[in-house]
Amino acid sequence: MTTLGHASIGSILEISSPNGAPWEFLVIFATVLLGPVVIERARIPGIIGLLLGGYVIGPHGLNAIGAGNTTLPDLGQLGLLYLMFVAGVELDLNLLRAHRRSAIIFGLLTFALPMLFGTIVGLSLGWEVLAAILLGSLLASHTLITYPTVRDAGLASDPAVATVVGSTVLTDTLTLVVLAAVAGSVGGGRSTLDIAFQLVVGLAVLIGFSLLVLPRLAAWAFRLFGAERSVRYVVAITAFLAAATVAELFGIEGIVGAFFAGLALNRLIPNEGQLMDRIGFFGGAVFIPVFLVSVGLILNPAVIAKWQTLAFAGLFILACLGGKLLAAGLAARLLGFSRPQAGLLFSLSAAQAAATLAATVVGFQIGLFSSAVVNAVLLLIFVSVLASTLAAERASARLGAQEHGPGALGARVVVGVGDPELAPGALAIAVRIARADGGVVQPVLVQAPSSTSAPRVARERLTRAAAIAGVDGSVSTSIDRSLLHGALQAGIASEATLVLVAQPGDPSAAERDAAAALCAQVNARTPPLASVRGSATRLGVVRLLASDSADDPHSLAAEMSRRVARGPVDRLENGDRDRREQPAPRDVTFASWDESLPAAALQVSGILVCALSEADADTNLSASRRASARPRFADRAVDARAPR
Amino acid sequence: MVASLRRRAGAAVAGVLLGLLAVGCSGSGAAGTFTPRTRGTLTVATAQIPDPGFWYGSAKHPTGGFEYGLARALAARFGLARVKVIVVPFARLVAGELEGADLALSDITVTAARARHVSFSSAYLAAPPSILVRPGTQVADVHAAQELRWAVQRGTTLQEALADTIHPARAPLVFAHQHEALRALRSGRASAVMLDLPVALAYARESPASYAVAAQLPSEDVLAAALPHGSENLEAVDSAIRAFSEDGTIERLGRRWLHTSLHEGAAEQVPALRVEE
Repeated sequence: MTTLGHASIGSILEISSPNGAPWEFLVIFATVLLGPVVIERARIPGIIGLLLGGYVIGPHGLNAIGAGNTTLPDLGQLGLLYLMFVAGVELDLNLLRAHRRSAIIFGLLTFALPMLFGTIVGLSLGWEVLAAILLGSLLASHTLITYPTVRDAGLASDPAVATVVGSTVLTDTLTLVVLAAVAGSVGGGRSTLDIAFQLVVGLAVLIGFSLLVLPRLAAWAFRLFGAERSVRYVVAITAFLAAATVAELFGIEGIVGAFFAGLALNRLIPNEGQLMDRIGFFGGAVFIPVFLVSVGLILNPAVIAKWQTLAFAGLFILACLGGKLLAAGLAARLLGFSRPQAGLLFSLSAAQAAATLAATVVGFQIGLFSSAVVNAVLLLIFVSVLASTLAAERASARLGAQEHGPGALGARVVVGVGDPELAPGALAIAVRIARADGGVVQPVLVQAPSSTSAPRVARERLTRAAAIAGVDGSVSTSIDRSLLHGALQAGIASEATLVLVAQPGDPSAAERDAAAALCAQVNARTPPLASVRGSATRLGVVRLLASDSADDPHSLAAEMSRRVARGPVDRLENGDRDRREQPAPRDVTFASWDESLPAAALQVSGILVCALSEADADTNLSASRRASARPRFADRAVDARAPR
Repeated sequence: MVASLRRRAGAAVAGVLLGLLAVGCSGSGAAGTFTPRTRGTLTVATAQIPDPGFWYGSAKHPTGGFEYGLARALAARFGLARVKVIVVPFARLVAGELEGADLALSDITVTAARARHVSFSSAYLAAPPSILVRPGTQVADVHAAQELRWAVQRGTTLQEALADTIHPARAPLVFAHQHEALRALRSGRASAVMLDLPVALAYARESPASYAVAAQLPSEDVLAAALPHGSENLEAVDSAIRAFSEDGTIERLGRRWLHTSLHEGAAEQVPALRVEE
């Protein structure tokens, strides 16, 4: 009976071997899931697990993904572009600005020395010049893989760390420019002059498109579709694909375009914002792991085991780590860093991953590198990641944890709003302040317990206003009797670096008293507070109302006005109120609330931003002032954004 | 003093190691190194000449074709002045018997079984199995395909595809050579021949009164160069074919000899055979 049953089931069921798209995706995502999990148990970075996973499922392993498969390579190509976009968008341009000198000196050294050594190695192997130069450039870049280790050790604000993070912009850009030049010169049989002309024109168009057109288009799209979270994400994807396409139109590798798109949108996509979170999530969960798995397909133990591959790897490791070590030592001497800080320079700049892998894969695709070179580079990545991890742990232990400085003024700006109609002006000002520091804006709807209006309707109106202003954050609600108090409490709760409050009119005497009472409570945990009166979606001329407090170039009003003006700020003297230069409705005037300032002085037209919490000596403003003689908010930028 | 000496010794060891490694690897090109069996000559094996679209002329005097063009491009990249062509039966080629040739270019589909006998380069052409019929014959789906009288070449992946995907109602006519299967189709003994798609398209274009491509089968089959198993030249050939794909050489050869854009041409216009209910 049982036998008959089996026979009849066997004759009914037709079970074929697994194939088709669902099977391929299952294999790929199972590898993405299991590769890092298994390898991290051996305390080896997950990136290695993904590469090994690619080998296991690939044509040199179990052959679940065959040589003719196009799904994984195509997905990997998208992942490669995504990887370079993320590399550009998450770079901290504030650090480059704040530590310009040291970042440029170290960036040039840590690029030039491995580049030189790598090129010499290539030439001494008898390689053609283009291959030798590409080898040099891929050894010259670095990826901040050990940054989390250093950050967790409390060293994020160490000048050596800031120097390396800032220099990454330089090294990655130079690497990709060399890649563009090399890839553009391969094949085609054109003259050097033609190639150089095409490259220069292509890079000029690409940079123009990326830095001038793309941010404007993206900002416009964010304003237009900003309320839709998924649409914001798709705008970012479209932006880097557009830049990659423009690059390829001129024969430049798409990854160069994707990287420039990341740099271009850097300010629009703050690291702490929701959009960056989404970009990081999808990148970390899907696109980048799939790219790494696709690279693993090239991994071939039979090739790795060859003497030639091992010798290549040995030479690459010596040239790369030797160059990075020498650069760290020289930079430490030139910049006056201690020995442990030199260790930090090395540990953060030695790890090879993103740009190295990207340039190597392109070199392989254009037939400049054999699989022996690719496998040797994979060995280099493995060794460099291990070496830099060990060096980071050692240097961190020797330096010990350091005190974190306060965040940059625009790192997290909370905008307290009672009436959404008044929000646009405060939001526009907040966006400019945050963008200057690569920070985020967080709108908060403050409603009185006795309010009769429906919170949902008000929240929707504020969400719309925030989207139009280009805010990358969702609206939260706070119930409080006082708008000032509610906004400040929300600011404290979210560790804001600045709280702006959109108020209906001139601060009344009672409100100023309330502000004074709040300022009296100001302590190290309390963010600076400013009220915004008046509203406009687009801002006009920015002025600073002269007073004893505002005349201090480090005052809150002066700092805010510089960020909003994006340049020099006009001064509005007390007597100017009666003159023709009375501000227009869209003009913004910054003032410091000061006991000595007559109330009439604040009766300017247009938008008035009044700094309310300047007085207390314990604010993080003055704490920062004590810490350094340099402009305090520039210093704070050191810790404002953390590369992921 | 001791630390300084130790550092200098370390640097000296690293320098010596670097030098040894560089000397050991010198001459190993970044894209691999090609060493021909006959100096100055690339010797290429193929199963039949002429082979429409892929080889024209004779083994002694080849005049053109996609794979001949590819052979010439390879020779130029490796700095070899001459291309010598030898004819070797297909079954022997895929068994790894290249009879002294550096490589074989003969519409060879990459399979795991063949990879045990030869080393395959990167793929140069997608080649799903396709159904070549006489003009006017319709093949709507797999059921219609099962009713056809099939002809196929022995020992090919096409024979496996026919058995695994179509399951013909009648036993197919199996021939040792491709041209015999085509003769059977022309004479009416067979009503369909299973061929690689680029090959079938080339036949249909050259003799539109005799042949038409009815459908292609869903497949990831690709054509690649076959080298003697474990050949040291594999890396160089591999890199060369990737470079030709990237710089447009393969595309140009396809347009010239297969009369189709490999990205957006006839291959995409040939309908896929419906194989499910």
